[in-house]
Amino acid sequence: MTEIKTPVKLSLRNVSKTFTLPRGSSIDAVHNVSFEVKENEFCVLLGPSGCGKSTILRLIAGLEKSSAGRLTLDGCEIVEPDRQRGMVFQNYTSFDWLSVQKNVEYGMKLNGVSRIERRERANEFIDLVKLNKFKNAFPKQLSGGMKQRVAIARTLANRPQLLLMDEPFGALDAETRWNMQELMISIMESTDTTVVMVTHDIQESLFLAQRIVFISRHPGTVLEDMTTEFKKQARIARKEDVWAMPGYTDMEHRIMAMMREQASDLSNYS
Amino acid sequence: MQRGEPHNSDWRWFEYKKPIPKGVAIWLGVGIWVIFFGVWELSAPLGWVTELLVPSPQAVLRSLFELIIEKGFLGDIAISIYRILISFSVVCIFAVPLGILMGSFASVEAFFNPFVSAWRYLPAPSFIPILLMWFGTGEAPKLALLFIGVVWFLATLVMDHTRQIRNELIETSLTLGGSRLQILASVVIPAVLPNVLTSMRQMLAVSWTYLVIAEIVASTNGIGAMMMRAKRFLHTDEIMAGIVVIGVLGLLFDYSFKLLNKALFPYLEDHR
Repeated sequence: MTEIKTPVKLSLRNVSKTFTLPRGSSIDAVHNVSFEVKENEFCVLLGPSGCGKSTILRLIAGLEKSSAGRLTLDGCEIVEPDRQRGMVFQNYTSFDWLSVQKNVEYGMKLNGVSRIERRERANEFIDLVKLNKFKNAFPKQLSGGMKQRVAIARTLANRPQLLLMDEPFGALDAETRWNMQELMISIMESTDTTVVMVTHDIQESLFLAQRIVFISRHPGTVLEDMTTEFKKQARIARKEDVWAMPGYTDMEHRIMAMMREQASDLSNYS
Repeated sequence: MQRGEPHNSDWRWFEYKKPIPKGVAIWLGVGIWVIFFGVWELSAPLGWVTELLVPSPQAVLRSLFELIIEKGFLGDIAISIYRILISFSVVCIFAVPLGILMGSFASVEAFFNPFVSAWRYLPAPSFIPILLMWFGTGEAPKLALLFIGVVWFLATLVMDHTRQIRNELIETSLTLGGSRLQILASVVIPAVLPNVLTSMRQMLAVSWTYLVIAEIVASTNGIGAMMMRAKRFLHTDEIMAGIVVIGVLGLLFDYSFKLLNKALFPYLEDHR
């Protein structure tokens, strides 16, 4: 691919979030975070658990208000949640009372998309996540991985500017997880979506991401903003092919070292 | 993992939390009733109790038929059911929306909950004298008692269930562009509805309790009133027939709620 300067999609400038506790004390969950995500980029927020990466994602979604700093999407300030930033959660969020089809149509219905178009677009995205055979099934009948695929299809069918994912595969077993990761690659191939995903799985982030923003703990701030250059801008469909690429192991080791350092930081706390 | 019915061969009594064969479960369930009616039937002939105070099951059944055929008992049953249905419908019209709003919005809860909680602790029968003074002896005082006996509890139950809706469901709708009103209609209400039905089922049973109190204290018709009349003439068999009818009606109402649950929420069934 040629190196064209792609426009900035999402931008965080000196964003902080302080939570006030009931007793009056406060925690700095996120401190002075700045980074940018370009159009069509897959950005992963990586870091040890409890580092505030989920809070950053919730700030981007508009589900939390920042205490300081500025978040913009396409140059517009983010103030509250809306359809431009659709979120997929770690816990299953399929609506039990709606069939798979109706779940995927749900967002479009909220936004007044006509019935015919709703059906058409839902079918398209149900195909994309390979749930054709389960269109009329209810979520209770689906496995965990399938429920997450419903959530992804539902969010994408709503055509958000940004897809936010909060450890979406964290609750899945190992096999389902890598299936889902490879599915994400094929989704990225066939849609022009910009993704910000939170995870603490190093392999997952190296496989999926073009940009990895490493978040440190106490306070949650950007320790390093990296690009997975060893992939040379390509999306590789199979995990083992990524592992075999030169440069993969180096980067994995580097991130592992950062994780370890963070972990030892924690032991200093106690 | 295999979790089917165990084989009869390796089934034993009193294994901790192990399922038992279905046939055995049915026989055990029938067994307790056989013992119950057996002891009851034999208690008078064996001289444990006097027939006058504890009539046999057969006598109770016989007087139930007499009541229905000769004494217009069906009318009493009908008026009791009518009271339950009217008062409980009014209860639901108030309590369900109130509970959903209290469970959804902290401000609504802050306003109503201290009031609702206080009323919950007032025993409804303590209002009977004043209700009689206000409304006389017609239908109104009975319906009012049934209303205040149940409405606060149902509102609280619905509120608790609404509060337990997972935040992620609401946040999912928010990030898909849902407005507050849309979320109420498309997430909160459908999510809580099965639990609302369960709460209604529980509170309907309580309604029957207050119904009998109301009819015993201040009524000339209805199942409770019939039982009080029977007491005056020492007709213990009729009193017991009344109790049996209330029990059967309770079971029928409970069963229809179960059917309603199945019809309204087919998606809750686990097919895996």
